Amino acid sequence: MIRLARLGMLAFFTGVSLAVGAEESGHLTADQLAKAVRSDSISIPTPGELFAALGKTGKTNWSGQYRGPIPVTYQNRAQIALNLGGLIADGFIAVEAKDSQQIKNIGSDIIKLAKALGVSEKLLGRGNSINEFADNNEWDTLQEELEATQNEVKLSMQSHADQDLVILVTLGGWIRGTQVVTSAIIQKYDERSARVLRQPALVHFMQSKINEVSPELRGEPLVKDVSQQLGEIEKLVSFPPDKAPTVEDVRKVNEAVGKAMTEIQSKEPPK
Amino acid sequence: MKRCLPIFLSLFVLGTSIPVRAQTDAEVRARKDALDVAAAFSNDGFKIRDGHWCGVLKPHDHVLVAVNLYAGNQYWFSAGAVEPVKKIAVSVYDETGKQVTTESYNDAEKAAAGFSPPNSGQYFVSVDLVEGEEGSFCLVYSYK
Repeated sequence: MIRLARLGMLAFFTGVSLAVGAEESGHLTADQLAKAVRSDSISIPTPGELFAALGKTGKTNWSGQYRGPIPVTYQNRAQIALNLGGLIADGFIAVEAKDSQQIKNIGSDIIKLAKALGVSEKLLGRGNSINEFADNNEWDTLQEELEATQNEVKLSMQSHADQDLVILVTLGGWIRGTQVVTSAIIQKYDERSARVLRQPALVHFMQSKINEVSPELRGEPLVKDVSQQLGEIEKLVSFPPDKAPTVEDVRKVNEAVGKAMTEIQSKEPPK
Repeated sequence: MKRCLPIFLSLFVLGTSIPVRAQTDAEVRARKDALDVAAAFSNDGFKIRDGHWCGVLKPHDHVLVAVNLYAGNQYWFSAGAVEPVKKIAVSVYDETGKQVTTESYNDAEKAAAGFSPPNSGQYFVSVDLVEGEEGSFCLVYSYK
């Protein structure tokens, strides 16, 4: 109760103290910007943030963005990690579509892939929670649960000395999220929607993280291919800040991420 | 029940986020304070991102954290710090290093900055030590 009162006071204080606070005189140097902290846990947005931005410009046909079931019997750990990220993005799509059954199906596949990587048994509990929240149509909580599931997978990877796979989960989620968003924009082009695609620094950061993984993992055909494609994708999402991408620009991004996604979910990894 | 949700989410996020390294007690307390501030914005529909950054603030210095944001979304960046930090401030810069206009909330060792990015891309959140001595802080953000 005391905590509730504190929060109420805080909300009230926030409400009355809002002000245009910062002055526009401040400027940081290029050296300061280069030294800024960059971290997977805060510098890379979740698929939910991307979908929220797209949702601002009108109704999106989320269920029209579903894909067919993907194999959950991959043998390659890098491929499992990439697909795990993609599946979590699929979960966010199902939340946007408010589709309980689809969320349950995806939740079940997430657990299967996660178990194949040998991550924590605690994830089984997450699967049950996802089903329960889906049954009760608790969409906001489901989104939180998906984020928490993704983070628990990554945490478990870190504790099992699989730190290098973490960026692959993130990357898989970003590629699948971008595939869905570009596809939705092409179907109903709008300049404001298309502006969400401008993320050169984000792609550059993910590329730099992949360059930091072990030479063995970096040398795996799938990782090597996706990494090379990422360099191309970075150029495609480097729009000037004041210019919205055209529908043709969006189509090029869609084709590039679509190609990467096809490779990631293919049962036969590249040779 | 609805009013309890921010608390539940705060505890939930607190319990499940990925630590980059083992956190000190001071960082855990700072993170709780940051989540308290962020929880207040949940009443306005902001979702707390399940991620954070904890570090150390030094006198006459700031910590810069790079974030990637989407045009169309609204964001609040909330920070909490612990003694001997007395007062902090949060500000936001665009990718060229120019400070952007934000709404602000300041309450001694807690602060937040809110804004809607006009362009998608990279921004930088600065947490500044305004008063006090070197101490731990934590930054979280929320969006809608």
